[in-house]
Amino acid sequence: MALLGTVLNTVGALFLTHAIYSTHEHTTAFSTSPLPTDITLELLLSIVLLSTGIVTSSQPLRPIQAATWAGQIAREGQKPEGTYTREGEAVLSEGDPYAFLGLDGGFGEKGGKGEGRRGFWDVKGKRREYEEWVRGRGKE
Amino acid sequence: MSQVNLLSPPSHISPDTARKLSLKAPLILSHPPTSSLPWPLSLLFSRETPESWTIHENLFYSSLRTGDETSARQILERMEARFGDQNERIITLRGIYNESIAQSNADLERVFDGYEKILREDPTNMSVRKRRVAVLKALGRTQDAITAVTVLLQNSPTDVEAWAEASELYASQGAWGQAIYCAEEVLLVMPNAWSAHAHIATLHYLSTASNSPPSLPALALSLKHFCRSIELNDSYLRGYYGLKLITSKLISVLSDSASASNKRGNNQDDDEVPIPKIATVKKLEEIATSKLGEIVRNASSGKTGWTGYDQAELIAARELLDGGGKIER
Repeated sequence: MALLGTVLNTVGALFLTHAIYSTHEHTTAFSTSPLPTDITLELLLSIVLLSTGIVTSSQPLRPIQAATWAGQIAREGQKPEGTYTREGEAVLSEGDPYAFLGLDGGFGEKGGKGEGRRGFWDVKGKRREYEEWVRGRGKE
Repeated sequence: MSQVNLLSPPSHISPDTARKLSLKAPLILSHPPTSSLPWPLSLLFSRETPESWTIHENLFYSSLRTGDETSARQILERMEARFGDQNERIITLRGIYNESIAQSNADLERVFDGYEKILREDPTNMSVRKRRVAVLKALGRTQDAITAVTVLLQNSPTDVEAWAEASELYASQGAWGQAIYCAEEVLLVMPNAWSAHAHIATLHYLSTASNSPPSLPALALSLKHFCRSIELNDSYLRGYYGLKLITSKLISVLSDSASASNKRGNNQDDDEVPIPKIATVKKLEEIATSKLGEIVRNASSGKTGWTGYDQAELIAARELLDGGGKIER
């Protein structure tokens, strides 16, 4: 799809440039006679090609319904979008916008282990969890 | 997880992921984003982006978690040099660093006193107020933490993060009524948060889980909120899990009460919570079962576009489908 879009855009842009150039040359040479039909047709063709190319090369549309959009986030998770920061970290697609509430963890054993609610981040607890994990690995 | 990401870390960081994250420290520390040249030239040759500082902050958290204090110290110094040591966020980060290197409870108390001092100078520093709550929680003084968070909420009643924290603190004490109230406050500010709906539904369920027979209004409310959470997110595993759990409970309770007496139908009118009909509940259970089956099937076969689910949650869902669902998350 990306290739098709690029080809259409390039050809469309070439036709557009050529049509404009022809118009310019025609009007300077014969300023009184009307524009020939082939130039008009070329211009129209270039517009059609460019419009199709721009539409096909655009990003996939996001779901209009909020539930479908949220479902897509839940199903697919965060994926790399192909761009990277200067530090070499991939820029990921949109994630759960309510993750900062930290309410997704539930209760019991796993409760409160999430990374939500940064303001209340329990540094001691996280550190203890990591130390226990390291000790457990050392025993194996 | 093969690839760990410092820019947007996952919502659940396992110790292994934390280790991988903090292993990126040398690379990031060796390439400072700011330029060391004098002022006008530093503007031209700076390579910093907003993302650089997000990455630095996340790296700071994960190195503290893995006990890599030297890296954390260096990152903190770099951020202090960039943003100044009077910046609210920097003050908070320094506080977190001090908390992390505190060896004993007495040290933590000293950090807490430091926070008090900062707040005497600048009582509007909300993030330091939140750190106070976190320290109290780490010290095991949950009641004091609850008091601190309620004071915070009196001053800033639209702080959803604090309402969520209060809800969880109350829930840890078994104060279900207050926990549900706080979770409803979260919903007032963010009515579309599906996780908040699932949370409130879990609270309603837990408030009655130990009773036998479970109270019908609480189960009905829980059902309502789980339904809303999947209405907001049509592939929400936790929502369908809860829906399946609650409907199977409700079906047994409803069929018991229907056979025992018919008088419930009379006093239902003055009851605030409408009790759903057993046919509706059965239909909902069918929907939940089929959707859970679809999610578990697709996600565990690793189909493309179904990779966003947590493995532990999938296992729990499969156990529930197999009939052995005892755990509520």
